[in-house]
Amino acid sequence: MVLPLLLALLAPADWIPARWPWIDSASLDLLKEVPVNCLLLEWKPDRDHAAFARAACERGLVTLGVLTPGPDLLANARSAAKVHPAGLVLEGDFAADLAEAVRRETGVLVIEMTPRYRMRLGQGQPVVATNQGVWPGVQTETGGAHKAGPTGGVWIDTNSGFLRAARGWGDSVLWIGNRPPAGAVIPGARYLQAIADAALAGARWVLALDDVFAQALRTGDATARAGWQRVGRLLRFLEQHPEWRRLQPAGQLAIIQNAEAGALLSGGIVDMIQVKHTPVRPVPRSRLREEALAGVKMAVNVDAAGMTDAERAVLRAFTRGGGTLLTGPPGWKSEGVHRPDRITLDKDEIDRLDQMWREVNQLIGRRNLGARLFNVSSMLSNLLTSPDGKQTVIHLVNYSGYPVESVTIHLLGEYRRARLLAPDAAEQNLELYKTDEGTGLDIPQVGVWATVSLE
Amino acid sequence: MTRRDLLALAAAPVLQAAPDSPVAIGRCASYQEDVARVLARMFDQLGGLPRLVRNRTVTIKLNLTGNPGMRFQGQPVGVTHFTHPKVVGAVVHLMGEAGARRVRLVESAWATSGPLEEFMLDAGWNVRQLKSAAPVVEFENTNALGLGKRYVRLAVPGGGYLYPAYDLNHAYADTDVFVSLAKLKDHETCGVTLSLKNCFGNTPASIYGDDAGEHEPNENPTKGRLEVFHHGRRPPSKSAPQELHPESSREPGYRVPRVVADLAGARPIDLAIIDGIESVAGGEGPWIKGLRLVRPGLLIAGLNPVSTDAVAAAAMGYDPRAPRGAAPFTTCDNTLLLAERKGIGSADLTRIEVRGVPLAEARFPFAG
Repeated sequence: MVLPLLLALLAPADWIPARWPWIDSASLDLLKEVPVNCLLLEWKPDRDHAAFARAACERGLVTLGVLTPGPDLLANARSAAKVHPAGLVLEGDFAADLAEAVRRETGVLVIEMTPRYRMRLGQGQPVVATNQGVWPGVQTETGGAHKAGPTGGVWIDTNSGFLRAARGWGDSVLWIGNRPPAGAVIPGARYLQAIADAALAGARWVLALDDVFAQALRTGDATARAGWQRVGRLLRFLEQHPEWRRLQPAGQLAIIQNAEAGALLSGGIVDMIQVKHTPVRPVPRSRLREEALAGVKMAVNVDAAGMTDAERAVLRAFTRGGGTLLTGPPGWKSEGVHRPDRITLDKDEIDRLDQMWREVNQLIGRRNLGARLFNVSSMLSNLLTSPDGKQTVIHLVNYSGYPVESVTIHLLGEYRRARLLAPDAAEQNLELYKTDEGTGLDIPQVGVWATVSLE
Repeated sequence: MTRRDLLALAAAPVLQAAPDSPVAIGRCASYQEDVARVLARMFDQLGGLPRLVRNRTVTIKLNLTGNPGMRFQGQPVGVTHFTHPKVVGAVVHLMGEAGARRVRLVESAWATSGPLEEFMLDAGWNVRQLKSAAPVVEFENTNALGLGKRYVRLAVPGGGYLYPAYDLNHAYADTDVFVSLAKLKDHETCGVTLSLKNCFGNTPASIYGDDAGEHEPNENPTKGRLEVFHHGRRPPSKSAPQELHPESSREPGYRVPRVVADLAGARPIDLAIIDGIESVAGGEGPWIKGLRLVRPGLLIAGLNPVSTDAVAAAAMGYDPRAPRGAAPFTTCDNTLLLAERKGIGSADLTRIEVRGVPLAEARFPFAG
């Protein structure tokens, strides 16, 4: 009776997932400090998960068996489903019909954690997941200098552009299950950045610890423990605001891009715009409707080839209504979109996109298309609003590993009140002042995450 | 004679600084201390600010080198390679108190012709506070035309080392007093970055930048200034005076110190202030390998930039008269001596009176 009740209480949208490397019940004590409630356990037929799964269940946790491509999949799935009745995760590049077969055979929830190009976006999946991602963070050189030349900007590796684009298909529960780089020793702060990078786009990173950190944690290493506690505080903070995941991208700039044009690759046009801290609304071309462009003043149509009459009509109406439309280079397609091993644009593709980027950059210039942010070179941001426009937030994620002081935001329009919310800090009212563009505010300090809630 | 020539003539400087002008050193352990109080005492030791600035327009060239987003070890740029905003605020405040009619903060902000205020915001500065530090505070990005209608041509008295004159933003001519507010730090190409080298940034990238227009200035520069000055691989926009000796060395260690000395003649520095409270050693910015955070706890000021830089270099543990090949001028000519040779000021410590903290007590060796 208890298990079905728990499963009914905890819907996939509430699951806070982590890859769990242990199957001893004592490891569950670590979850006293971290609000992870969904454990992904690699299924191995010779590994007995049952006792662990029972212990987890008694603590109100969900366990999912993770299966990877290989022989005897259906048999393994049947066995795994008995131990993990909440569901299974099929991780990898499975044949398209296998997931359905597993669903039929087991009757349990099946999450497909696929390469990006196979993600089933906009198809009503309870959880849409990929196991591919870059490892988020600022690239640094020895000595603490950011990796960039004397005249270069700071480079941020991020999945957020991809995740923001993916959210455009309307899926509400999005997981990214990339693992830490192989062989790397990851300091605790980098886990915070991975969590925050996904949360910036309303997604969840499937927590995955590197071997060294995991071992240190189990042996009670104080540094690892402190990092783990920080992970817990950040996750708890984010989970206190589930409403943020329902907010929609705000601002006056839209990027129209389907998967074939590279929407699901990192390092593309959305990431380029993100670095400029210009609010952007990714719109999959298949979702291009007049309402998708409501309030938009500039739109970039990355790939104009093969548009339907209806799509052309939407863009015609947009430009007739005074909107500015920029179109990508003719024939723009990324070679990487159908390759399971590619998640970023390659150099040639970036070079081909460069002309479009220059035009977009020129078009944006210093214009305020919703918000302009200053002193945020090591950060990414996301301006979001509720469908009724009553709640607007701007999230900031700092990838530098150091707190950044004195961030300034110039918002378009008038606001009456601004509150700063951040993990490890009390809520704070921010002073608002008038600017040429509307409203200005200053944030004293940003650690890994800060949210400004505006009224 | 063209209008531009007339302007150049009007702006031609008169060298007035005494070669043995005194230099004041102040002790200030951190930016949390009362920086304004220390600076006020130093200015008094130099004869007082009112004498210099009352009822005058004061233009202050800051040292905001490179991309404001680049941080060293996550530190605010003011404690590493930029002039610290608290020092800027204190100087502006004291200028206002001394009766300056207008204080204009200028810098050729890296790779942009956008407003200087936004560049400062990107550095994490509180621009609203700076604006209210004196009755009239203005900001100008001198990387292009800025608020001016045309560039001013400032000739190098007696002819320059590399160029006979430089085309600059109007702010460098439309002023009564010119202040170089620099940072105490090493420089990879020029040995030291002090009040003289700070003025390398007087030059607009629109004309002297890597993407300067071929014939006319590019009013939207997006790059730095390596190709023209450092390497001599391309000329400045043809609208500006061209190189005197195109056959001369293309080596940055030869060229950059000469450009700096030229500029100190073309746009004389009336007051040199060097922020050495906290800084970096080993180079001028985060892109230099081997950079270190240092806390010399010093402020240095003088009415002659060469003398001020000589004292500052000595405070850094260097011989300000060191020849090429000796630290800090390991791979470059000595800017101070080049400027001295042009009569701009003396780099001879035996002729410079140090007021305030004695030089021996101020020494903070920068060399690793």
